[in-house]
Amino acid sequence: MKSVLIKTHEAWLEMLMAGFMSHTQSKQVLFDFSDILFRHFTWIEHAMIASGESYDYDRGNIPIKVERLEHLLKAITGRLLEIDLQLVGFEDRDLASRISSDINYMVGVLHEMNDEVVTAFGMERKLPGVTLTQEATDALTLFLFEESYKEYELIMIYNYLKAHSDDAYLNRIFQILVDESFFHLKQFGDMMAKMGILAVPRMIMKELYQVENVVAFLKDGINEELAAKEECKKLSDAVGNDSPVLARFFDFINNQENYHIALMKDALRHFEVKETNG
Amino acid sequence: MSLDNMVMEHMMNPKNYGTLASANAEGMGKNPLNGEKVAIYIHVKEDEEKPYIDDIAFQAIGCTTTIVAGSMLTEEAKGLTLDGARNLVEATMKLLEKLPEEDAACSEMVALGIKAAVDTYEKRKEDREYPMITYQIEGTCTPKEEEEA
Repeated sequence: MKSVLIKTHEAWLEMLMAGFMSHTQSKQVLFDFSDILFRHFTWIEHAMIASGESYDYDRGNIPIKVERLEHLLKAITGRLLEIDLQLVGFEDRDLASRISSDINYMVGVLHEMNDEVVTAFGMERKLPGVTLTQEATDALTLFLFEESYKEYELIMIYNYLKAHSDDAYLNRIFQILVDESFFHLKQFGDMMAKMGILAVPRMIMKELYQVENVVAFLKDGINEELAAKEECKKLSDAVGNDSPVLARFFDFINNQENYHIALMKDALRHFEVKETNG
Repeated sequence: MSLDNMVMEHMMNPKNYGTLASANAEGMGKNPLNGEKVAIYIHVKEDEEKPYIDDIAFQAIGCTTTIVAGSMLTEEAKGLTLDGARNLVEATMKLLEKLPEEDAACSEMVALGIKAAVDTYEKRKEDREYPMITYQIEGTCTPKEEEEA
């Protein structure tokens, strides 16, 4: 199962990247498919936990730099067919059949999808309709690299915590935080593709998600969210004169962090009460 | 960090990022002030007259500058003998002396990680179970004005 988990992880990110590259109605289809693959990932993970098989979130590099979308779609199709082949050895036949059915449908749709010219790697570092100073462009570029990785990291951490917790109250909070990070990742990834600097977030180190002290993790996390708010504020100020629209977007992201902090404080209180009551 | 196309290329496609299943030594460069760290994995080819690093990888908990420095320095280190790798670390540290502390800290962490991996390799020649060596950086990557705030 470990190999299927790794390949599904890779296929999920590859499909997400294809979504960022598309300029047509295929974009939403690719995003929906990447969501499906993420759910497959969580199902396989749960099956591994249930069977006591050890696993981690390591994966291989995912080459995405293509000139035409069809090249990436072919690579994704190849990866999906490889997963499908490996599902033959799954003990949980219901799970294998569910995933296999989804894969067969997705492969069919990908095969029929129209080709597009990919402009996500040109490094122009310009957003359509927005003129920024060199300083603001650099600040935005660094922000997008830092934060797209951070959102991926948060998705993986909260997903891992959720997979290893049977506390419904906490799991509700973790799921909201996963969903919020997905939204941010999609926003930032889309912006990176438009600027010609699309990149797959790097693999995260085990010690980040294999959290030993949840209380310390949540406390650190609240401080990190506060720092992220500060970064959004700085960026909004940096681009404010050149693009009020972009400034409003970063103010919106900044305000969303308040909700994340409130959720994390809620989780912290719940966890501390739980620990006190044994 | 000046974002020219070469730096952008390292940001978008960091070289040698990840772990190395065949590694025969690891090292860690660490910033004790903020918990940022760089793990370096090396495979030293031993059946040569002069052993050399024939493969290298890194992972980091750190900022984009750390990733760019890791990508560049591991590329430089690939193919070097152990003395060559030590010279690379020394030359990098000398170069970093000319930079402001907050700009130098990330690259220093990578350089010390490489040094730690090479030293771990040497120690393991005498004791195969020798634990991974960690070196801590002396600078800080926090800009002065943030420290004062």
